[in-house]
Amino acid sequence: MSLPIAELVPPHIRAFEAYVPSRPDAELMRTYKVDHLHRLNNNENALGPPPAARRVLESFEPPSAAAYPSGDCFFLRQTLGERFGKDPERFLVGNGSCEVIASVIKAFCDKGDNIITADKTFAVYEWVAEFSGFQARLIPLRNQGFDSEAMLRAMNGRTKILFVCNPNNPTGTWWKRDEMERFLRGVAGRAIVVLDEAYREYVDDEDFPDGMEIMERHKNVVVFRTFSKMYALAGLRVGYVCGQKDAVDYIRRTHIVYSVNSLGQPAAAAALLDDAEHIRSTQAMVAEAKALLLPAFDELGLPYVCGAGNFAMVQTPASDSLIYRQLMRRGVMVRTMTGFRFPNWIRVSLVQQPVMRDFLSAFRDVVDLVRQGGAA
Amino acid sequence: MPAHSPQCLTLELPPDVAYLPTAASAAENAAQVFGLDRNGTLKLSLAVEEFFAYLCRFAGREEPLRLTLSQGGTFVRVAFRFRAGDVSLRALNFAAQVDLASGPDSLSDQAAELGLLVASRTTDRCSMESSGSGVYVLTAEVDRQYPEAAPLCTPQFLIPPISVSRPEDGPLAKGLLQHAALLAAERYPVRACPASFFRPERFADMVTAGQYQALLAQDATGKPAGLLCWRASGPKSVVFSGPYVFDAAPDRVLAKETARLLAERFLSAVARTEAVCAFSERPTSDVPEGWFESLGSLTLRGEDGEGESPQAALFRHLREDVGGAVWCHPDLTPFLERQYNLLAFSRDILKAEPTQTHHTTEHSLLATSLDRRRGLAILRPLLDGQDFATNLAAHVSALKEQAQEGPPPDILLHLDLSEPWQAALYPAIRGCGFEPRLILPHAGASDLLVCQHVTAHS
Repeated sequence: MSLPIAELVPPHIRAFEAYVPSRPDAELMRTYKVDHLHRLNNNENALGPPPAARRVLESFEPPSAAAYPSGDCFFLRQTLGERFGKDPERFLVGNGSCEVIASVIKAFCDKGDNIITADKTFAVYEWVAEFSGFQARLIPLRNQGFDSEAMLRAMNGRTKILFVCNPNNPTGTWWKRDEMERFLRGVAGRAIVVLDEAYREYVDDEDFPDGMEIMERHKNVVVFRTFSKMYALAGLRVGYVCGQKDAVDYIRRTHIVYSVNSLGQPAAAAALLDDAEHIRSTQAMVAEAKALLLPAFDELGLPYVCGAGNFAMVQTPASDSLIYRQLMRRGVMVRTMTGFRFPNWIRVSLVQQPVMRDFLSAFRDVVDLVRQGGAA
Repeated sequence: MPAHSPQCLTLELPPDVAYLPTAASAAENAAQVFGLDRNGTLKLSLAVEEFFAYLCRFAGREEPLRLTLSQGGTFVRVAFRFRAGDVSLRALNFAAQVDLASGPDSLSDQAAELGLLVASRTTDRCSMESSGSGVYVLTAEVDRQYPEAAPLCTPQFLIPPISVSRPEDGPLAKGLLQHAALLAAERYPVRACPASFFRPERFADMVTAGQYQALLAQDATGKPAGLLCWRASGPKSVVFSGPYVFDAAPDRVLAKETARLLAERFLSAVARTEAVCAFSERPTSDVPEGWFESLGSLTLRGEDGEGESPQAALFRHLREDVGGAVWCHPDLTPFLERQYNLLAFSRDILKAEPTQTHHTTEHSLLATSLDRRRGLAILRPLLDGQDFATNLAAHVSALKEQAQEGPPPDILLHLDLSEPWQAALYPAIRGCGFEPRLILPHAGASDLLVCQHVTAHS
């Protein structure tokens, strides 16, 4: 009899939960017996990519698919360098920011090291650390935001990386310039500080600390950004890290080359060329969605958290998973928040008015049903 | 007993009785090292001898028998992995009887089954699992002995603020857990408490060993203020007990806040684990409103043994439900459709037909757990067999006889709807007096159907 496979697997992998992505729309619609599905679970930009990126996608020649992409995203890095006034060698592009997170952890952490982040934030920092065998020190949020002082107190000699999601997913809170500076002075260069700015383009406030500028004063700062959110290229998976040249060089050693495809690279580069109007339109769409939803949540007597970003979180009068199932039966898909350690909250993407109205109508139905005891 | 460094001994032995002393001495040695007392060591050694002798005779001979002895914290486990061969494990049934006078031709087989019967009765639990085509794992456990303790009835008023934490290893945390278990045993109905609360040292050891996970609430003075514990149920769900709150005035805001903190921390603790679902078949009245969904209820006999009382079952998903498929006998379809619709679950219901008689073995096997303190028995089909209906009826009778002078236990039967052969047993189960009551989502390899024997109170 052969050895059971489990005996070949390290304990930290055996204990780890595999991420289960949601099923394709067609399968979900069949399962929930609905003829339409509004996907409001992944904070996608429903406006789609900016015009120049669209033109790249439309003009893609199928024979080009036969050739390998640029292994290190050469032209995209050139464009990023021009956009931010930095050496292209200071950029490393990955298959979405998840891949870049893994590369950074692999580059800096060794056995016995730890990372620090919040308990209620984007889960991938914690997941990658733990399945790589490193401790994730999780600091509770304070007033729905990252607690900078508690993060500093949690540091020890084995802390290698502090992940700050700014703005935070799912609460939308963000540190202002002063708080960021105090925090970075407290870290004092003892560890890498990752500023994950996936939702940075949704903040239109002069007091927002721009990681691209901060890294010039604090050499231990690296910044993550993505084309999946504001730029609506989630399906092509393009994210990047920018930092000091030596830091990025170490990260590159652990990074998989050729991981960004031939369509994603030029589309992402093009997206940066004419993004001003796209960003304004998206911000307007999000503002209109907030103006519709938030008063309705008030009217329903349901607490909500809605800061920067194209999403809102609302507390539910029953288990979030029950609300999810009932909304799915009405053709609306949201994100349950138990996995983010916000049990009995859901997160909903902020998109165009007709879809928001559909969501609101279905949500009101479900809340009424629950309050009347008609749901399970 | 550190939870992360399990002690384990594995031997691969040819299926030959010449190696019986090797197996027995390994069991004896392991039992002593793993903390069983003399009586427990004798039980484990005897069980290993009898199982080994039986499997040498009937298991497939093409591969060695793998014997694994492991320390489970509060018990020692022996597991035999073997090829089916001509094995019949009917003697492991709770209702099994061996008739040595049945005839000279079968006398030798009957004697072998008697050994199996002895082995199963000397251990505290036995179970069987299929581990691939024709490969089975037979498992038996012998518990360490712990003293019973009287529940604590000291009235206490909690002082804010309340803090909730996972107990760490060490004597201080162990003492707090034992204290909390005794407070819960006094304040809550027996049905709402795990049996180990009445042997609190055992409960604390189960937590240390990882058999239970626990959250302990303490008030400003460090007194135990509340408790919630849980364990795995199948690969995809956890079953919880509690929350238990130890304030003398359970309606106080502070008591409710303690229950809410425990529930919230519990969900945070399990939210990013393998578990898809959390449920409880014995929730307390302190479960905060709106945090869990009702699965329905069972009708159990009253605490005093008289009358009936409803027992609610609660659950919640820990992530989005992606749907699934279950097997179902056509007679069961209306019940499942109604329940899944009430719960707003999406399930593909697949039709399970009874297995052709010539494809099943002669004898079925049922797992039985009987909690005498709670007056509750749970049956689970482990192996299909042509005698299933008769065997099930024999189990019901045997469980009623166990009660002797007292009221008969409530009898539940769990069917794992991921197994078509189990779903196909439904008519036989119904014919034996069981009715479908609840679905426990993801509680087995798939959803579990809970049937209750409706004449148990008669």
